[in-house]
This record gives sequence, structure tokens and C-alpha cells, in this order.
Amino acid sequence: MKLKYFFISILFWLQLMMVGTIPILSVLKAGLPQDTIITDTILSENDIDAQTSPDTVILSQESSNREQQNPWLWKVNYFGKSFKLVNALIITIVISTVSMVILLIIILLNRTRMEREQKLRQYLLEKYQSLIVEYLYGDTVSDEFLKIASDRFRRQVLIDQIIDVSINLKGDSEQKLNDLYKQLGLQNDSIRKATSRKWHHKVKGFRELAFMNIRDANNEMYKALNSLNEILRMEAQIALVRLSGENPFMFLNQLKRPFSLWEQISLYELLIQHNLSAPSFNQWLDSPNPTVIMFALRMIREFKQNDAEEDVCKVLSHPEIRVKHLAIEVAGDLNMKSSLEIMKRMYKNEEYNNCVEILRSMAKMPDPSMLGFLKLVLDKEDDVQLQIEATRAIENMGEVGVAALVKLMKSEYKNYNIIIRHVLDRRIN
Amino acid sequence: MAFFFANIIFILTLILFGSYLILGLFSAMALRKYLRKNSYINYNSLVLSPISPRVSIIAPAFNESKNIIDNIRTLLSLYYNNFEVIIVNDGSTDDTFAKIKEGFNLVRVNYFFDYRIPCERIKGVYKSKDPSFNRLTVIDKNNGGKADSLNAGINISRSSLIVTIDADSVIEADSLLKLVKPFLEEKDHRVIGTGGVIRIVNSCDIEKGFIRKIHLPEKIIPRLQVLEYTRAFLLGRMAWSHLDGLMLISGAMGMFDRETVIQAGGYSIKTVGEDMELVLRMRRYMAEHKKKYEVTYIPDPLCWTEVPSDLRSMKQQRNRWTRGLIESLWTHRKIFFNRKYKRLGMLGYPYWFFFEWMSPLIAFGGFVYTAYLIITGHLNWSFFLLLFVFVYTFAVLLSTWSVLFEEITFHKYERKRDVLRLLSAALVEPFFYPAHTWFAVTGNIQALFRIKAWGAVKRKGFDKDKMKPVKETASSKKITPS
Repeated sequence: MKLKYFFISILFWLQLMMVGTIPILSVLKAGLPQDTIITDTILSENDIDAQTSPDTVILSQESSNREQQNPWLWKVNYFGKSFKLVNALIITIVISTVSMVILLIIILLNRTRMEREQKLRQYLLEKYQSLIVEYLYGDTVSDEFLKIASDRFRRQVLIDQIIDVSINLKGDSEQKLNDLYKQLGLQNDSIRKATSRKWHHKVKGFRELAFMNIRDANNEMYKALNSLNEILRMEAQIALVRLSGENPFMFLNQLKRPFSLWEQISLYELLIQHNLSAPSFNQWLDSPNPTVIMFALRMIREFKQNDAEEDVCKVLSHPEIRVKHLAIEVAGDLNMKSSLEIMKRMYKNEEYNNCVEILRSMAKMPDPSMLGFLKLVLDKEDDVQLQIEATRAIENMGEVGVAALVKLMKSEYKNYNIIIRHVLDRRIN
Repeated sequence: MAFFFANIIFILTLILFGSYLILGLFSAMALRKYLRKNSYINYNSLVLSPISPRVSIIAPAFNESKNIIDNIRTLLSLYYNNFEVIIVNDGSTDDTFAKIKEGFNLVRVNYFFDYRIPCERIKGVYKSKDPSFNRLTVIDKNNGGKADSLNAGINISRSSLIVTIDADSVIEADSLLKLVKPFLEEKDHRVIGTGGVIRIVNSCDIEKGFIRKIHLPEKIIPRLQVLEYTRAFLLGRMAWSHLDGLMLISGAMGMFDRETVIQAGGYSIKTVGEDMELVLRMRRYMAEHKKKYEVTYIPDPLCWTEVPSDLRSMKQQRNRWTRGLIESLWTHRKIFFNRKYKRLGMLGYPYWFFFEWMSPLIAFGGFVYTAYLIITGHLNWSFFLLLFVFVYTFAVLLSTWSVLFEEITFHKYERKRDVLRLLSAALVEPFFYPAHTWFAVTGNIQALFRIKAWGAVKRKGFDKDKMKPVKETASSKKITPS
């Protein structure tokens, strides 16, 4: 595999050097003695005439001398062109042709290798699967495991297979597979990967160790928490959540880099998939890292931690617009009514998207005390989205809201009918 | 004059070849990094996650009666949790709208339409009575073209992310998962758009809007376009994304940040190259407002589209592409070598200007000059042949590189025979270059005289009851550049 990349890179650089040399040569030839060159690549009428001139005779002689001096260059007819340029072109053609043939061979060999690897993998997976089942229903470790797992590739397939099988197992069976992994010394492979200098090996190692609950490389994981490589960082986070015992989310306190939505989604899925207990996420609502606050807000919503109401209301005054936006959304989703008055006060000075979100949240937690404010919004705002959200918030108040809307429909000051009809149409999401 | 044609064209060709090699290098680096990263990604966590952002898929349809029902069903069954499908019937003159209405049991809703981006009059917004289709919204509007339809869809969308597609494209089931990921990874830079690889569907087996078996196109012209697309997407755009100079997200499928699209003014209806123009305008908007942004690109095949299978249709398509390119470059000429736009201004735009727009014109000049030399008997045939072999071998080599990239990345063509046929096509492809040059020249002439010929393309379409694309049907269709 590595040899293939080596050949490809050699070919590439040779090609680049050749193509890079040609324009230099074609420019440089202008500086060569007059008797060695003819400037145009495609000859003009004057050049054709020049070919018969004494200069051309000197050129042929010069070229011929150079050929004799340089045994590496082929004896070709230089067509009256610059000696070096023509040679560069010929060499590029040769390199291109050879490269093409080599690439073709690489493509075909790669195909064959992939097919062979696929077949071997399939064979090994089937073999390991039956051995694992035998092991789970018996107690002895078959020697065949070690016989087959004779090299890194085969051991890797075995690790992958053990992990795949244990995903669907719980309790004793899961523990038995864990024991098998240790008995076969496969944790050494995983630790070696986790301590490797290559990030993609590290990721693989972290993943395997987290799955098999082995804490020997936790220090490596802590080091990777603030890595520039987002995949490595994410795998370290996920592994630490699984391996940190009582405080799985402590890494959030150390997180200095932005905690991307992708990382948040992956971590949330981990919590759900492995049924891990969720901590009180309000402890991170005052984090100096805004993305950690956003994660905490999302988790508060997903795990319905309504006791965090007071802290969520505090986040409504966060200086970052996106944090504030999410806090408004979460307050509405969790029906945190104490946020209503704060949102009402905020509305005037907020940017557009946050205003829309405030009205949406008010619609989620209908409160007749907001009727006056919402009517004012409907009256003063010209933006369609704001009007629709305000109307929806009024309509959600039930009888009081409907009565208010009926009154508004009769208004001569502004035509609300079209907005109200839109809001009342249940088929529109 | 002789100096210009003989030397400048030659040097330009060499610079072009050099730039292809450099782009190939960057592309290889970007591909390697992406594939490594991607091998650890579990997209399944996105499929059901309640945290994943909402996405609106906007598909304009104009006289798509033949496949519209299957295409909408395909869109509704994509793997993603939080999305809606907005079909915009752009004043079809056939029974497209009637078929959708009947097929999905649609009723008109009382929609208060917000024209944040100007578009043609909306005649009505429709939703299904069947709750299983509640993700679907259909807009019926007056004809205004693809860009106008997309603007209508953007206006009605309530998602933070929009995906614009051609209604007749075949979408990969996991394409939304792949497209949304760069937006989820954004840090201090806002991701404003993401594109992916578009593949060629000619000769593939299609069933109910999904690809069942991938084959290399049987006909030579689509097969040559497979090479061209592979080069453009895997060598070119991947590298430009890495260099932060990406100027085009294919109209066949791309995901955008809705708010940025609206702020930038939506799709332009004044150009036939609205996909490129939008990316340029969004980039300009972000740069001029001093906002950190990114246009990303993923090498995964996301969508399959039918390409012209005869020279006449191809000519029309290439003319449009050229006109679109010229219009976009002209509209945003301010970017040209403007340091304010960073790599886009100093690298991306000049590259498109010199190598995508000017290069076919200069090549055409070269052809004319060579013809003149032949006629007047002044051509140095030996040197001409040497140059020809040089250009030919290099062109074939580039195609071989791109086939290699395809092989070590996604190797969609499973049969070894297909790969060999693709490589044989690479040997023939350089002989079609004069045709491409001519198409570009006619496109330039049309752009110069502002000829707004939409033309008609022969599309075969896919018979929903059969596995193979049907052979004869030719539907007249308003062309939109892909």
C-alpha cells in the first residue's frame, strides 16, 4: 500500500518537474546563442526560410555535437527547434507514457488487492464468528483464535468482530467477550494504536479501548482533548465519557476549543445508546466556552431537566447571540414560564432571529398576560414571519386568544385576515 | 502575431498542465485526509438525532411528468430525521402538477407567502391530506425558470439549511447526512455552502428512483463525460475547496446556509449559470461584510444525473455553461486580483478567468493558426507532431490519474471491465477537444450578442416500471445548467 503511494508520488513529482522545466526552457532559449535556436515553436514563413540559412546548418552541427556529448539524450531530429526544449518535450512524453502504464498497473493491482482483502475479511469474519459463538457457549479459548490471528490484519479483523458481537450483548456474555479480548492479548494492539503518533491509529485505539473498558491509555485521551484534529478530539471525548467512571463529563471543564454540533450529537447518541446516566447539565451553563453552554442547554432540553429553569433564564442575558437564541428556544420547549417576562423585556433590543425565536417560545408556553405585548408586535411589525409567530402565540392562548383574533379580523387599520388564516391552517407546519 | 500564437499558446498550455498537476496534488492531499476522517464517522448518529438541524430540499420541476412521482418518493425516503421536501412546479405545460396533486393527495393551504427574495407569482401552496406525506410541500407558480423556482422555495422554507437539487436527479439515500456534516463541524468560520460529486447515470439500472446497478455509459459521449466529471470533481473541485477558492457548487445538488443565501439576494434570474453566480455572490457578501466563512466540498458521490448522449445536446449544454461562466465572471469582475477577497480573488477567480474562460478561446486561435499554416504549407509537421504527442500523452495521463483517484476512493464501477473501458475512453477523449473548444466559442458568441436561447435537450428519462432507462422518449425541457 505504502509502496503504491511512493510510486505515485515519485511519478507526480517527476511529471511536475518536467512540465515546470519546459516553460523555463522555452523562455531561456531566447537567451541562448543565436546559432542554437529558432524562437518559434511553430514556424512562420520567415523561420522556414531561416531553416535553409547558414545558421540552421550551424544549429544542426551544434545539436549533433551536443548529442555526442550527452549519451543520455536520444539521437533525434530536432526539427530546427531548441535542443533542450525538444529533449524536455520528448522526456515528458516518455515519462507521461511510462506513468500511464504504471498507473494502469497500480489501478489493476489495487483492484485485485481489494478483492483479495475483501474475500479474506469475509472468510475471517465467518470463521471468527463461529469461534466466538463456540466460546460463548463453552468456556475454553480455542487455539484456532491465535492460529488464525497471526498477523496485524487478522488480529484487527478479530478485534472488529469481537466489538461487533459485543454491541448486541449484555451482562455475562459481554463480560466473557471482554475476557476473551484480554486473554488473547488484543488490548496490547489497541494500546499500541492509542499511543501511536498517527492520529488515525490513535482514533482506532481509543475506540477499541473505550469499547472494551480498558483505562490504560486514559492519559493519551486527556492529551487529545484539546487536539487540533477534530476527529481525534471527538474520539477522546467519547472514550473518556465511557471510561471516566463517576464523572464522565468532567472533560467539558477542560475543553478550550469549540465543541462542534457534530461532537455534541455524537456524545448525545453515546448517552442514549449505552444508557449512561446524564448528569445535571446546569453545572456547565456558566462555562467560559460558549459551545459547552450550548451543549448543556441542548442536554437540559433532551433530558427534560426542568430544575435548571433559573440557570437557563440567566443564560438569556448571555452576550453571544447564538447562545441566547438557544436559551430562548430551550426555555420555550421546557415551558419555563419565568422566562416570559425576561423575553418580553429583551425583545426590543434583540436581533431579528432572536425576536422570531422569542415569539415562537411565547407560542409554546401560551400565557394571557402576554396578549397585550403580542398584539403590539402584530400591530407594529411589518415582517411577515414576526406577524405569523405573534398571531400563532395569540391563537395558542385558547379562548382568550381566539376572541382577540376575531376582533383583529374585523380591524380596519390593518388586514390581519390572511395572516390569521395562515396560522389557523393546521396543515401548515 | 506569429510570436503570440507560437509561444504564448505553448506557454499557456504548459502552465495549464502545471496547474492541473498542482491541483492534483492538493486534491490527493484533501482526499486522503477526508477518507481517513470519514472512515471513523458514524453517520447513523445523525439519522435519528433530535439535535440535527432542519433541512429543506428544494426541487424545481418543469415538465417532469414522466418521473416526478418516483422522484418525490425518493426524496421523501432519504435518510435523515429532520427535513422537508419543497417541490416547485415552475408553470409546467404538461400534467406534472396534476400528477403530483393526485399522487400525493394534495390540497391547497392558506399560505401567507413571504417574498423575501423576489420571484414570480405563487398561484398556490399545497400540502398532502395524507399524514405520511406531511414532509411534502408543493408550490405552484408561474413560469420563471430554475433560479426563480429556487427563490420561491427558499422563501417558503423555514429551515436553517437548504438543499437545492434538479428534480430529475437520482439522489443517494445518505446524501443529506454527508452534506450536512460540514455545517455541523463549523467552528469560528461559518459554512455557507457544501457541494459534492455528481455522477453520470446514463446506462445505470434505476428502480423506483434509486440506483440498483451502476454501469459505465454504453455510448461514447456520455462515457467521455464520466472522465470529464471525475477530473472536474475529484481533481479540480476537491483541490479548490482545499485552497479556499471553490467558485461552483453544482446546481444538481448543493446545500446552503439559508440566511446567507437570503442576505446575498438569492439566485439570480439574469444568468443561465445561477449556481456559480450564487456561490460567487455569497462569497462576496461574506467577504464584504468581513465575516469568516467557508465553502466546503465533499468527495462522496451524492447525486446521479443524466448527461447529453449526442453532440447536439452536448453543444447546447456547453454553450449554456460558457454563457453562465461569462455572465458570472462579468458580474463579479470586482473580485479579479482583488486582495480583499483573499484566495478567491488572487487564485480562484483568475484561474477560472484564464483557464476556464480564455483558454478555449486561445486554443481556438491556435487551431485557426495551425489550419492557416497547413493551408499555406508553412507548418513544421515534425515539431507539430511532437507537440501533439506531448499534449495527447499528458491529457491521457491526467485522465488516468482521475481514474486512479476514483479507484482508491469510492470505486463505484465494480466491474474491472468498466475500469478498462473507462481507461480506453481516456485514449479517445483528447480527439474530442476541438469539439469542446468549438462549443465554448459558440457560447462566447452567444454571450457576446446576448442570445437567450434556452434550447431543448433530448432526455431519455427513466421508466419507473423498468430497470433500464427507456430508450426513445425525448421530452422537451427547459435547460438549466448543472
